[in-house]
Amino acid sequence: MGVIAKLDNDQVRLAYARWAPVYDLAFAAVMRAGRRAAAAAASRASLQNLDGRQADAPRGRVLDIGVGTGLELPMFETETHVVGIDVSEVMLRRAMTRVCARRLAHVEGLLVMDATQLGFRDDTFDAVVAPFVMTVVPEPERTLEELARVVKPGGEIILVNHIGAEGGAVALIEAWLGRRSGALGWHPQFPWQVIGDWIARRDDMSLIERRPISPLGLFTLVRIGRAAATVGERVRAAS
Amino acid sequence: MSKQDDTAGPVAAPVTEARGTRIDPRLLEILVCPLTKSTLEYDSAKQELISRAAKLAYPIRDGIPIMLPEEARSLEE
Repeated sequence: MGVIAKLDNDQVRLAYARWAPVYDLAFAAVMRAGRRAAAAAASRASLQNLDGRQADAPRGRVLDIGVGTGLELPMFETETHVVGIDVSEVMLRRAMTRVCARRLAHVEGLLVMDATQLGFRDDTFDAVVAPFVMTVVPEPERTLEELARVVKPGGEIILVNHIGAEGGAVALIEAWLGRRSGALGWHPQFPWQVIGDWIARRDDMSLIERRPISPLGLFTLVRIGRAAATVGERVRAAS
Repeated sequence: MSKQDDTAGPVAAPVTEARGTRIDPRLLEILVCPLTKSTLEYDSAKQELISRAAKLAYPIRDGIPIMLPEEARSLEE
């Protein structure tokens, strides 16, 4: 990993360590709708019946990137099996407290991990969800590559992002957020092009949905599908 | 560190140890070394995940595996 990337990760870690005590209060209300939409989409995608999937094959496996204090953990369907990762151990400890206090049995684990260097096997998750992550990671393309590696063929990558607005009220809010972004650890002017170009470069990835989430449409839900395995690939995997 | 006794009441087990031993076996199945993507060994006594390929031991603190090479213990003497 490059020195620059490591420095950036340290900055993100520092910013979140500073925000951890008040994060829930300050941001829960603003981001709840986005988290709810992300958790619902991930639950649906992970539990759907895929073509060619055996009836007894494990499903419902979800990876939550940047799980933080675990705000969206109670929002997943209880039949899912959720693994959450974050770069901040401080945030994860709060998430762990939440999981224990609310007895969230669908949460299988919480781990400190770098999204550009995931410690999971290839083709592991039915859905990978990254709420409010692409705007804070130092290397969005490398992160997308890692998400693509761990999602199963036929699975989905679900992003909730703040994507730069052209004008109006949202642009005004962004201008305000932009001034705060250094302390927050994220930059609100995230261009769609980063995601769009990446999808275009990958033969096996396609855009399923891109829709604004109310209120205000400040955040956008993006669903990216990984192509299902071909018959030949399935035969090879089974043998 | 002594092995956990099944007959010992929950009061006897310190909180950190009780939490630390709760690594889900289904989680261990999907974990690999973030550097080498190779299989990990779970040392439940030391609460570490060992990557022979990378010669690193990733610590598990209060049930949270820390899968960062810079936080891992080097196995090279």
